[in-house]
Amino acid sequence: MGLFDRLANIFGLRKKEVNVLVVGLNNSGKSTVINHFKREEERCIDIVPTVGFNVEKFAFKNVHFTAFDMSGHDRYRSLWEHCYKDCQGIIFLIDSSDKLRLVVAKEELDMLLQHPDIIGRKIPILFLANKMDLLDSLTTVKLVAGLGLERILDKPWHIRATNAVNGEGLQPAIEWLTDQIRDIYINKR
Amino acid sequence: MNSFKRDKKEEEDGGGNPFQNMEKTTVLQEARTFNDTPVNPRKCAHILTKILYLINQGEQLGTTEATEAFFAMTKLFQSRDVILRRLVYLGIKELSPIAEDVIIVTSSLTKDMTGKEDLYRAAAIRALCTITDGAMLQAIERYMKQAIVDRSPAVSSAALVSSLHLTSISGDIARRWANEAQEALNSDNVMVQYHALGVLYQARKTDKHAVTKLVSKLTRTSMTSPYAACMLIRMACKLLEEEDGNGELLDFVASCLRHKSEMVVYEAAHALVNMGKSSTRELAPAISVLQLFCGSLKPALRFAAVRTLNKVAMSHPAAVTACNLDLENLIADPNRSIATLAITTLLKTGAESSVDRLMKQIATFVSEISDEFKVVVVQAIRALCQKFPRKHAVLMNFLSAMLRDEGGLEYKAAIADTIIAVMEGNSEAKEAGLAHLCEFIEDCEHISLAVRILHLLGQEGPTSKQPSRYIRFIYNRVILECASVRAAAVTALARFAAACPPLLPNILVLLSRCQLDSDDEVRDRAAYYCAILQQQFDPTTLSLVQPPLLSIPSLERALNNYVSSPMEEPFDISQIPPAQTVEEPTQPEILATAKQQQSRLSREETFMEKLAQVPQLALVMSKSPLFKSSPVVELTESETEYNVKCVKHSFSNHLVLQFDCLNTLSDQLLEDVRVAIEPPEGYRVVYEIPCLRLAYNEPGTTYTVLEFPEDVHASIATIPTTLRFMARDCDPTTGVPDAEQGYRDEYMLEDLEVTLADQMRGVGKQGVDFNAAWDAGATRGFSELEETFVLGASVTTLEGAVQSLVGFLGLEAVERSHRVATDAVGHTLLLGGIFRGGKEVLARARLALADSQVTMQLSVRSSDPDVAELVTSSVG
Repeated sequence: MGLFDRLANIFGLRKKEVNVLVVGLNNSGKSTVINHFKREEERCIDIVPTVGFNVEKFAFKNVHFTAFDMSGHDRYRSLWEHCYKDCQGIIFLIDSSDKLRLVVAKEELDMLLQHPDIIGRKIPILFLANKMDLLDSLTTVKLVAGLGLERILDKPWHIRATNAVNGEGLQPAIEWLTDQIRDIYINKR
Repeated sequence: MNSFKRDKKEEEDGGGNPFQNMEKTTVLQEARTFNDTPVNPRKCAHILTKILYLINQGEQLGTTEATEAFFAMTKLFQSRDVILRRLVYLGIKELSPIAEDVIIVTSSLTKDMTGKEDLYRAAAIRALCTITDGAMLQAIERYMKQAIVDRSPAVSSAALVSSLHLTSISGDIARRWANEAQEALNSDNVMVQYHALGVLYQARKTDKHAVTKLVSKLTRTSMTSPYAACMLIRMACKLLEEEDGNGELLDFVASCLRHKSEMVVYEAAHALVNMGKSSTRELAPAISVLQLFCGSLKPALRFAAVRTLNKVAMSHPAAVTACNLDLENLIADPNRSIATLAITTLLKTGAESSVDRLMKQIATFVSEISDEFKVVVVQAIRALCQKFPRKHAVLMNFLSAMLRDEGGLEYKAAIADTIIAVMEGNSEAKEAGLAHLCEFIEDCEHISLAVRILHLLGQEGPTSKQPSRYIRFIYNRVILECASVRAAAVTALARFAAACPPLLPNILVLLSRCQLDSDDEVRDRAAYYCAILQQQFDPTTLSLVQPPLLSIPSLERALNNYVSSPMEEPFDISQIPPAQTVEEPTQPEILATAKQQQSRLSREETFMEKLAQVPQLALVMSKSPLFKSSPVVELTESETEYNVKCVKHSFSNHLVLQFDCLNTLSDQLLEDVRVAIEPPEGYRVVYEIPCLRLAYNEPGTTYTVLEFPEDVHASIATIPTTLRFMARDCDPTTGVPDAEQGYRDEYMLEDLEVTLADQMRGVGKQGVDFNAAWDAGATRGFSELEETFVLGASVTTLEGAVQSLVGFLGLEAVERSHRVATDAVGHTLLLGGIFRGGKEVLARARLALADSQVTMQLSVRSSDPDVAELVTSSVG
């Protein structure tokens, strides 16, 4: 690290850049959530199913996020693991109205947690129980039980009911993630 | 420090390539830097450049390596650096054929191609098209359509070209996007217009009427883009080739000669002169345009013009004579390629008197031009030799001088070919030609050429005035050259011995020395020839030394069959079809295009292979090999609903009719397709093999096996044919038939003629002595018939008579008697061949020309009197 970089770091001027991974089953609202985090003028109007992945950037509380918005289609889920290694946070989207595929989501989550690049790391995971506005949506308590989240002991995690269409619940959720990342990665350096 | 010093020294050595001495593994290791956050654009761009360099140097990446590098590269999408992003596009294009899961970048690319950054958009489209597969096409279709009609010409062009590339994945892409392409055609940008026209053509390519409509619509509007105009001319020419008499299109091409862009003017002129059917008068405007170009300041234009004129000079020398003055000026052109073409054009158009002068001029700079153009010069000389046979001495000397120069195999082979051709066409030149070739093989580094010339010496040498003088040249080869040349030389020696009895004792001494050779093949040949030649001299040994040119695969198959049979009868070699000899083009002009590659198998052999795959035909095939296959006969017009072509395969006693059918109706599926025939008198249908399924545009084949009648006279017949099938309606797009039962239907076809030529073929013995065979026929109990005919009004020249007679009888002209001397009023055509079943036929036709009417006296000798009668009666 160059002298200038080190100086900048001491004074806290250096931009804090982190990578976060956005995963979840298809049609759970990943791209919509990321779209909401972006600045007003950069947002897209229509969201189409992602093929492969998209890289999006947004800033929150002086932390610059680079979000890898992965495709949730079952054909491309195998590609998630390529990004595990160098991410400092994970956002896991759950469609809380899709009771049928909750087991699929659980399976994908378990596979993620047991991956060698994830298993020993203290990496914050933010669960977003999306589509809370729908009538038959599950509550966060039920989702915690359904996904077996209480078993995650070595990583900080947080679950929040959200509505990505109007942005409800997203603000406090990303705030939590930012704080966690700041604590674990940035302040430690 | 040490390494630093070395680096410095390398730098002093002259900069050099910074990418030299790179290791694939190290570079791929470095590619891990791509995963760092934040991305360092300069460093990553450098590494990516290294990867691209390696791939372009031909380094092979494994699938895992490529996939790893590819996924690391996808991380670079987070950087906003323009240079890096464009390098990433290049990387995607290079790695996409090797790496797996490349579709992962689809969304990232579609985001870039619809984004605001114009620098990304075109490149992203091109990268996207390389990673897209059939399944993904749907997802990107909407974006591609938008991109085609985009305001930015670069984006629009990229999308149009990409859609052309995508047609290899999904055939109907161009058709689905034709509306957008139509809109892009109205663009002001020259490139967009050109590419849009390309897509529109691709969409209509298979439908001739649609192409005609497109072309005639566009010819009325004037194209602003010269590229598009050129393409339009090419499309118009293709249509003109297929149908003649479309005056409108011809007028369009002619009007393009007055276009303001030179490119279009040249294209139009080139198209007009290449049309093939144009007369000298029609060519005149095109030639005068080319003449103008000859005086142009731009070398490219001069080159194009003179090259085109050079080609026209072969077919229409008279038309080009007008340009002679301009061409004379170009001889001194600083560009040697232009000068060469100019001189060779002049050689073709010029008079006999100017030949000497021009040859002298060529000689001054022949050493300065490349091999490719030397070949052009050689071909011009070859044409000249045929035009002015009297000049052969000058030209031969020139050729032999060229032979002595340095040059590649192709160039030397072209010269040798020319000398051989001159010798064949002109008996006076034979001795001189052989002498030149002998001299050449003394110092020839091309083995294949040396072998060929030795073979030729063996064939032509014995009949020359003084055969003994060639022996020394040939035996020198035995002493000095490599094994394959020595073997060829031994064979050539043996031929001399067989043909010239006075030389026999001397050659036997030489051959016995060859038996001590170190190479097996040479020793074997020497021993074989010694053994044969030491026996009493007798004309039958000649065929053992000079075997007839039989087709080897057929011989092998026949011998195999023979060995597995009881072997009671002696093996009949006349059953074996001759190897195909390449017919020399008979016109005085030699086309500059490369000679057609001779296929490894003759027509009969390829058909034999094909027929052998039909199990039902095994019965016929086992009895005798395929005797002859006729040319393809069309039984329908080419544009009808069903297309049927027939090939007649003759066996000893059977006739197999192969019907190749094509269904051009996309909404029909044909089942149980057969061609029903009414067997004429004497014929018997053995069985039919129907084609079970004939889907849209997939060729299918059905066979009918007939037995020839006992009486050979009845074998010439006309067979009425009908196509019978079960038709089922089906979905045009998927080809899946409707559930309901089909209906029987039939379709009248044209009559099929079984002719004499179908049952007759040549023997493939070029060197056969006709007179000896003719006389021997009389002693062997051949029956002879003689008749005199006056040929019909359609035949007005001797050449025409020879050609139609050879084509009609199916016999082969021997002793090169099919070449009629110019201005001759009488000619004797000698023909030999075999009728099916191994019956020998010899024929002599004396032709006389009077008042453009040809009278013919035809004598036929055959081992079977019926066949002789058949031949004479079928002429009348």
